[in-house]
Amino acid sequence: MNSVDPVEVFRQEASELFETLEGALLDLCQRPDDRELIDAAFRALHTIKGSGAMFGFDKVAAFTHEFETAFELIRRGEVKPTQELISVGLAAKDYIRALIHAPETVDSIIGDAILDELKQLVAPGIPAFESSPDRPGAVPSEHHAAGWLLQLEFDAQILRNGSNPLDMLEDLAKLGPCFAVPITTDIPLLDALEPEDCYLKWEVTLSSDCDKAAIEDVFMFVLDEMKLGITPLARVELPEFAPLLQEADSEPPPSATVPVSAAPDAAAAERPALPAEPRREEPKRNEERGIATVRVQAERLDELMDRVGELVIAQARLSQLAATGSDLSIKLIAEEIERLAASLRDTTMGARMVPIGSLFGRFRRLVHDLSRELAKPVEFVTTGEDTELDKTMIECLADPLVHLIRNAIDHGIEDAGRRAAAGKPAQGRIELSAVHAGAQVLVTVSDNGGGLDTRRIRAKAEEQGLVAPGAALTDHEIHQLLFHPGFSTAQTVSALSGRGVGMDVVKKTIENMRGSIDLITRPGEGTTVTLRLPLTLAIIEGLLIRVGAGRYIIPLSAVEECVELTAADQRSRGRSFLNVRGGLVPFLRLREVLQMDGAAEEHQKTIIISTGETCVGLVADQIIGNHQTVIKSLSKLHSDVTIFSGATILGDGTAALILDVGQLVALAQSQAEKLQMNEAA
Amino acid sequence: MTASPTQPAGAHADGAMQVVMIGLGEEKFALDAGLVREIIDPVPETKVAGAKAYVPSLINVRGNVIPLADLRIRFGMPPTEHSVDSRIVVIEVMLDGEPVLVGVTADKVYEVTEISQTDVQQTPRVGMHWKPEFIRFITKWREEFVIVPNMERILN
Repeated sequence: MNSVDPVEVFRQEASELFETLEGALLDLCQRPDDRELIDAAFRALHTIKGSGAMFGFDKVAAFTHEFETAFELIRRGEVKPTQELISVGLAAKDYIRALIHAPETVDSIIGDAILDELKQLVAPGIPAFESSPDRPGAVPSEHHAAGWLLQLEFDAQILRNGSNPLDMLEDLAKLGPCFAVPITTDIPLLDALEPEDCYLKWEVTLSSDCDKAAIEDVFMFVLDEMKLGITPLARVELPEFAPLLQEADSEPPPSATVPVSAAPDAAAAERPALPAEPRREEPKRNEERGIATVRVQAERLDELMDRVGELVIAQARLSQLAATGSDLSIKLIAEEIERLAASLRDTTMGARMVPIGSLFGRFRRLVHDLSRELAKPVEFVTTGEDTELDKTMIECLADPLVHLIRNAIDHGIEDAGRRAAAGKPAQGRIELSAVHAGAQVLVTVSDNGGGLDTRRIRAKAEEQGLVAPGAALTDHEIHQLLFHPGFSTAQTVSALSGRGVGMDVVKKTIENMRGSIDLITRPGEGTTVTLRLPLTLAIIEGLLIRVGAGRYIIPLSAVEECVELTAADQRSRGRSFLNVRGGLVPFLRLREVLQMDGAAEEHQKTIIISTGETCVGLVADQIIGNHQTVIKSLSKLHSDVTIFSGATILGDGTAALILDVGQLVALAQSQAEKLQMNEAA
Repeated sequence: MTASPTQPAGAHADGAMQVVMIGLGEEKFALDAGLVREIIDPVPETKVAGAKAYVPSLINVRGNVIPLADLRIRFGMPPTEHSVDSRIVVIEVMLDGEPVLVGVTADKVYEVTEISQTDVQQTPRVGMHWKPEFIRFITKWREEFVIVPNMERILN
């Protein structure tokens, strides 16, 4: 077991907190009065600050503290969260993230600029925080004071969090001779006394030429649970028995102890075990949280999936062995193991599933920034956030979706003038949704913009020589040109899109995940791009077939139906079309594609596969049956082979190749076209 | 263990080098022992249609599907049938900066031994129908010439 780097843990935790913070800030744009959101953002900030300080990210803690102070005014309702304020907040969030992930590249000037802007925006509220410790410049000559007068006022709950004000007083004493006077005016009568609350305040005179930051450091962890007043003193007069306090260094200052211990004493009379109570509560709470979720390193999940894959293969061999033998007890065990392996596989796959909402959250920022930049007001709606997908797929999906959303805003949504002319509301709408459909997940990006300009795409394609002028093309075929590498219709190249890289990358990424893309557009009403993705990348249901002596897997999700190849079809050499219920389906003889020697067997079977709209028949010698397919990728040495998407291991331990449906369909289509051209010529 | 082309893992300072000696057709090849992961009996092969001729098939080595390379094709030798001595040597080579497991067919595996790099013969430019880039050097072992192949080049 490798030990976990605590700093790495903090980084991970911080990235989750950033997501929460960003989400809350963006939601505030829509619902500026939502207390819950403000509190959520505040909590995230607070945790970042606290853990940041704990793990030695002092800059992070300091900056976040300033940020938090400004945000405090919003929380108290003194300042409204305006759009500008939220934008600065987002910038501040990015800055903190940079501080954590790449501190050496960060220029503190940026941070100062963000803070200045933040302070200006919340300026009217500042006086409310009179004794705030965080107003640099409030006392100009503070750095060379002879001493300090401190007013300490802790929150009543501070003891419950495990903080002890007395420890802090001791720390203060280490800075220099000090004199602490407790203010006991707030202590209620015994009846009303809450034993776990802190009722004391202190006034401390500190004789030290240390700077203000040193004092703040003492209270670093509790700054939010207290009011700290720091006033520089030109001259310090410590009362006479101050040296006595110094001597009693190891013991807490007597004048301070008495009243404080009064509270626990009173409590002890009522409930003897009380002082230990907060400590006992802490682990209990952690335990409860531990049951809900456990943070596991992604690599360990990958490893687990690999092992399960091997188990499934070994189990298949066992089952085959048991089936051929006659030993009943072995058959029984084989069945038992088959059942266990299947449920273990499902559980493991389930553990790798992540709700897609974590990905969607990222795009809200993108839309927010883009819509401001392009001055196109856009409403961003997401649905189906809790749709679960394999975590590897979620990572792979990020880039394609960024492209699609950028395109939707930049090209899809029209500018305000044209929207008004078309009688549409000024605010555009982009919808991102995810939904399960059988063994697939459909992720849809749709906009209510102008739709694709089919004529312009065609003109551009002819100009770039992608299609012959005047060639007969359906709208669908023209739209497919968008996925051609290097194709772009944007008249001007903007910073966002129009360079012609993008859509082809999207298509490639999705196809690498064994998914497909559909594009539907209605002129004047908008465009919808649907990504169809398999549920997982690791194990699929496959159809095991035999061609000659070789066995191959076809992904079951692509299989439409299986039909017998008629004697007439089999004999025909010239044409390679099947008649399936009146429709013409081109077919490929796998024997030829896979370069098998020897004549075809009798009773050939045809497996009809489809990708979206196109159906293609594959002719095989035998259909063996369903097969749980653990996908192993092909090595670099076979990267030039395109008709296979991977390999798997069969029950008898031999390797079998998985046919790449997309490539086979393309191959069949090009063959059919060639044939047609020959006939025409 | 890592194997870099400049400092093979099997090489010693005095020029001796640990190798696995294999036989292919009439020739003997010395594979750098640092590259070799294991030696296994022949297993069923799965032909990959459309693959390069020198990596014609796949094999399953304890749950890993790895390509099986045939050095004979690269050295222009005729194919031979499996015999009782046939083995598969699994080696790990760096391809484009990534380690890749590859099986290599051998008609016979002799032994793990040391060859001396001081006996290195200048690879002759003439009188050889092999591509010189496939050969790291030729040396002598028990009065026989053995070829130390450059696996990275052969497989790329």
